[in-house]
Amino acid sequence: MTRPTPKEIKAMADVAGVPVSTEVAARVANSIGPAFEGFAAVAGTLPFDLEPASFVLVQAAGDPT
Amino acid sequence: MSVEPALMSLTSVAQAIAQKHFSSREATQSCLARIAQWQPRLNAFMAIEADQALAAADAADAAISKGTASGALHGVPLAHKDMYYDAGRVVSCGSKIRRDFVATTTSTALRRLKQAGTIRLGSLQMAEFAYGPTGHNSHYGPVHNPWNVDHITGGSSSGSGAAVAARLTFAALGSDTGGSIRMPAHFCGVTGLKTTYGRISRAGAMPLSQSLDTVGPLARSAEDCALLLGLMAGADPQDPTAIGGPVPDYAAATRESIAGLSIGVPAAFYVDDLDPEVGRILDETIAVLKREGANVVEVELPDQRQLTAACQLVLAVEAAAFHRRWLIERPQDYGPQVLMRLQNGLAIPGVTYLEAMRWRGPALAAHNAAVAKVDAMIAPAAPVAAPTIAESDVGNSPEAESVIQRLTRFTRPINYLGLPSLSIPAGFTRSGLPVGMQLIGRSFDEAMLLRIGAAFQRVTDFHDRVPNPA
Repeated sequence: MTRPTPKEIKAMADVAGVPVSTEVAARVANSIGPAFEGFAAVAGTLPFDLEPASFVLVQAAGDPT
Repeated sequence: MSVEPALMSLTSVAQAIAQKHFSSREATQSCLARIAQWQPRLNAFMAIEADQALAAADAADAAISKGTASGALHGVPLAHKDMYYDAGRVVSCGSKIRRDFVATTTSTALRRLKQAGTIRLGSLQMAEFAYGPTGHNSHYGPVHNPWNVDHITGGSSSGSGAAVAARLTFAALGSDTGGSIRMPAHFCGVTGLKTTYGRISRAGAMPLSQSLDTVGPLARSAEDCALLLGLMAGADPQDPTAIGGPVPDYAAATRESIAGLSIGVPAAFYVDDLDPEVGRILDETIAVLKREGANVVEVELPDQRQLTAACQLVLAVEAAAFHRRWLIERPQDYGPQVLMRLQNGLAIPGVTYLEAMRWRGPALAAHNAAVAKVDAMIAPAAPVAAPTIAESDVGNSPEAESVIQRLTRFTRPINYLGLPSLSIPAGFTRSGLPVGMQLIGRSFDEAMLLRIGAAFQRVTDFHDRVPNPA
């Protein structure tokens, strides 16, 4: 997974209905880039059947009460 | 009155009022006098409601005289972060956009504290929409650290940290999405409890990130946090994520010994690149826990950088989604840094966001396996003591996000995993700034953290120290 480029960010913001300038898109790319890099080892590796609600199940399994 | 009531703990002042050692009015006047003294230096309060507070105190005193007082905190004056809806009151959320917003409902957490008898002193400053870890607010100015007013309080519960530290309120609600209770607790030298996701209802609390937001108190001690948690925890039909079942006796937990408990110290990440004084205080804290009979052992955790990244992805998208309408209609009414951070969320594809959400379960399971042999962990709340207001005023500059991420790198993994964490005052730097350590527990095991925190506070006095107005 690679960080989005300013050009891609500009396009995504347009689609979201919140257009940003080229300068802002560059700043966003700089800000959010490290999160993409940090998550890269996980992205694209998760098993098919896994869904977000698994968090609640794991949480409940650890409840000491 | 031989003791200034405002200097007492929440637990002590509640007992003193109930036992008529002094009145609710005297306690309220004591807080108001300190507020008048400190507010010009701290900017901790958003609104001070002296007349209403005194009228409520008189009503509380009248109820005591009639024998109709009820609730564990009857007549105790409190102020909270200005994001808890209180029907009929302005709730600014630290923003220009909601400067005149009048709530039509009352948050569950606040309602439960009111039912326990608390009265309202006013509302406390915060980062704009709770989206900032420093205490800066471009609309209402920064909140100043009572230990050195040139330094930040941390955020986003900036007013809560400053007001509790300066003894302007006996405790305050904060909220913690990426560290917003633990950061100000650490920087201001107070005790702050980030609760397990689902432990306290979020209904009527301004949302920032529905998957990460947690409600919790900042107070003067673990004992006081235990009292407040016991009053607020539990199921709520208004918030389906708030879990049911019996609420543990947190106050009883604070009286237990920690002899024989096993406390983990992370082998990496939380001990890397620490300011030397923070490292020293971590070592001293571990030594105290050992003297009290705990076994302190090293634990190997999964890669925490992946957790911080996942937290940032989830938070950015959910915050942007909440704010999308205002981003379209009123972008000029945001402060520069908050606008920049909200715009970050526009750059994250839906697939990436959902992958970050799907990974939460396996990530928590991996964490649980890594800490299976310990009762809790201890780690610094942040790698440094409070920076100055000047050096942390980065606005929307290119380096702003990296400054923010560095300050919160020890807190965000815990939010992503939804775990409870108690920040306790653990020492002071040589320049007199407080340093906090966070105890990190298993899901819904706040009782263990409060037990360890209270044991630490029985043999140390960092939580009892009070800053002096210059």
